[in-house]
Amino acid sequence: MPFGDGETILDVTRRAGRQVPTLCHDDRLKPAGACRTCLVQIEGARRLAPACSTKAGDGMQVTTANERIDEHRQNLLALYLVDHHQGHDDCEDGAPCELHAMAAAYGAPTDWEPLPLARAERPNDDNPYIEFRADRCIACARCTRYCDEVEGVSAITMAKRGIETTVSTADALGLFDTTCELCGGCVAVCPTGAMAEKMPLVAKAPPERKLHKVRTTCNYCGVGCQMDINVDGYGNNGKGQVAKITSPPPGTLPSDGNLCVKGRFAYDFIDHPDRLKVPLVRNAQGELKEATWEEALAAAAKGLRAVEAEHGKDALAFVSSSRCTVEENYLVQKLARVAFGTNNVHQCAAT
Amino acid sequence: MTNSIGEIRDADFMFVIGSNTSEAHPIIAMEMKRAVKRGAELVVADPRSIWMTTIADKHLKLTPGTDVWLLNAMAHVILKEGLCDEKFIEENTEGFEALPEVLERYTPEEAQKVTGVDAAVIREVAIRYATTRKAAIFYTLGITEHSHGTDNVYALSNLVLMTGHLGAASMGLNPLRGQNNVQGANDAGATPIFYPGYQRVDDEAVRKKYEAAWGVDLDPNPGLNLNEMMKVAGTTIRAMFIMGEDIVMSEPNISHLEEGLNNMDFLVLQDIFPNETMRFTDVVLPAACFAEKDGVFVNSERRMQRVRKAVEPPGQARADWEILVSLFAAAGTPLESQTVSEIFTEMTSLAPKFAGITYEHIEKLGHGIQWPCADDESDGTRYLHEGGVLRGRGLFTAVEYRPSLELADDNYPLVLSTGRTLYHYNAATQTRRAQGLKVKQPEAYVEMHPKDAGRRSIGDGDWVDVVSRRGTLRCRALVSKQVQRGCIWMPFHFAEARANLLTIDEGDNVTGTAEYKVCAAEVRRVTGEPKPTRSSDREVEFLPGSFYRG
Repeated sequence: MPFGDGETILDVTRRAGRQVPTLCHDDRLKPAGACRTCLVQIEGARRLAPACSTKAGDGMQVTTANERIDEHRQNLLALYLVDHHQGHDDCEDGAPCELHAMAAAYGAPTDWEPLPLARAERPNDDNPYIEFRADRCIACARCTRYCDEVEGVSAITMAKRGIETTVSTADALGLFDTTCELCGGCVAVCPTGAMAEKMPLVAKAPPERKLHKVRTTCNYCGVGCQMDINVDGYGNNGKGQVAKITSPPPGTLPSDGNLCVKGRFAYDFIDHPDRLKVPLVRNAQGELKEATWEEALAAAAKGLRAVEAEHGKDALAFVSSSRCTVEENYLVQKLARVAFGTNNVHQCAAT
Repeated sequence: MTNSIGEIRDADFMFVIGSNTSEAHPIIAMEMKRAVKRGAELVVADPRSIWMTTIADKHLKLTPGTDVWLLNAMAHVILKEGLCDEKFIEENTEGFEALPEVLERYTPEEAQKVTGVDAAVIREVAIRYATTRKAAIFYTLGITEHSHGTDNVYALSNLVLMTGHLGAASMGLNPLRGQNNVQGANDAGATPIFYPGYQRVDDEAVRKKYEAAWGVDLDPNPGLNLNEMMKVAGTTIRAMFIMGEDIVMSEPNISHLEEGLNNMDFLVLQDIFPNETMRFTDVVLPAACFAEKDGVFVNSERRMQRVRKAVEPPGQARADWEILVSLFAAAGTPLESQTVSEIFTEMTSLAPKFAGITYEHIEKLGHGIQWPCADDESDGTRYLHEGGVLRGRGLFTAVEYRPSLELADDNYPLVLSTGRTLYHYNAATQTRRAQGLKVKQPEAYVEMHPKDAGRRSIGDGDWVDVVSRRGTLRCRALVSKQVQRGCIWMPFHFAEARANLLTIDEGDNVTGTAEYKVCAAEVRRVTGEPKPTRSSDREVEFLPGSFYRG
């Protein structure tokens, strides 16, 4: 296999279409070589080597699966399982659990005696969005490395040692009182659902694997991050309900799978009771009253035509929106120009 | 943006001016942080201390509205030090001759007097910018929302052209777009001077093309821009159709606008939530939000990306495009294109820049398409101006400094700037309905320097009246050294303390964009209000030590 400067064994084996499992790896992070699930055998080396942090070399012969590697992975995954929430289905009440899935795929023993939970939680963290569930954590440090290397705020960190190793903050403060910007990247990168969403909307929702994902573009700023809307098909009396927003995989253009606090968490407006649901027309008494679509559209067209007739076409103005789609902006300018003959059309975006 | 977002991580020098990137564009800030960790240099020019200044190599804390002085002084240094890319200027630009004479008086020493930025720092930043190959400039509304916004952009563009930092990956001039589809709204022709794809309404050949396609006679005269419309609302403008904007929240000098709206004959509003503008409306059309409809948004890097319907709209609400299709019919001018993909193709087929972009092509490539994209063989354009400037030759425009329209004086001694925060978005019709964000940042505040606060006996968390020539509002004071002395800053997200009661509606004479970033104001302590438990105890001061360079 040819390889580029600085490429790791993991990069090359992936390109070759070989399955090498990883738990602590994320393409956006520097390789940590911490979880040891990606160990492979290099011809001539006595020990197995981590594929994620070992650079590919000339003439290197790499074996990604054989009896020795399989046995190593089975034992390793069994060790992770004893230090993790028991029971696959029960563990996946939120996001899917990569550890349980991997253990099943590699046939790891599941009957080893579980360890008592020794990781500290932060029960008094009253931030509204992000929750740390210590019984799910396997101390892979994806979350803390993401917080440091990608989001750059270092709000969370690994603390304590051995089986007490946990994800904490400075002085175990709640996330609101740290440098945390609530981007939720820790939730997105966590392989086991230890970093989870607190939102009540989600708490009522079925587990993520029962939701269907719709890839779309965020509606806040101009970066255009890609996001997956997770829909509970049975919600809202079968009309479908947005249960959560999740990140697409790293490498997805243009945002590399990242989201910010608004994109990931500010979606409860969608089902908000204040939403306008019925057309309204102002009556002779000056009150806005519910109307049918036919009445409202006719009133809109008639009102605009009446002003056009009395004051001329340039007495009309059309304010379009940089919040709406390209098609909708196209239609508003066409409405102004074609239906009413004026170039008085603009939106709040003269920058 | 002339560059792509993904190219930022490979830049070696980033000059960020008038952009609170980590709050307004957090994901672009992540790319910048990645570049800084890799060893890239970051220079931030901003009147306030912001998160980005804590990791910057240099923070140029300039006086609001003096950008032209700063940028011209940088150009002055580059010229005097002989750091211009003469080959690039010769081959790719025009109008350079006019520059040296204008720049002569903009010495760093004089600039220091006006901008407050140390002359040696200006000199050093200019040299670093000119001598680093992969050097990119990023700006936002801190540059454009001024009466001299266009001049600011010209001054930046001069820097780019004189150093030849254009036409390759990770170097260029990058305005970061504020809304999800600012780029797309302009691309689609929702402007008084352009048809879709930046084809001018007063270009006869273009107009003939659209007259043939649309089957009507079209007006050859440009229309009114938004700022002009708002000023004559209720006088020349008698009726208005508004889609998805809360104009009495987001437009400047609201009191005047509200007076105008009272005198309007007819107003139609199409939106997803009741808003402040609804008080003046005759017909309200309930619309679908982004999760409930199909379409395309165009991001800052010109990438046309799909928006996909995930759930049904509530009640009888309909997608904006469906409502518009019905409105065409109700107005007696029914449309041929009836589906959203037909409408999209109708637009792109008439605009050469977008000609190769269709829903099928976007789905085939799987990641949106950056225009220009001439045909379905093309994958689009990652960065602009490769192999020569698009318009043929890059045009230098020498600009002179013009002070902002309203400067601080004895009655209004403070300079007010407005902006956005991480936790809310514009008029906040959406984010203030997000329960978590409401907890994190529940109410309006005005940031002021401890010295300015002390002189007015204002303590942190006190209720204050913020006053300008146009209006008054009440909010809490956030006493902080993040703003410089003599300056105050407010977010404009809050309906009960609308910052745009204070702002000025005079704007840039080319774009019409109002001067949201500079107006004169005064802050007075309110006596008698009980001192409440302060929400902004939640405000976390920046902790610079937490960012580690890798």
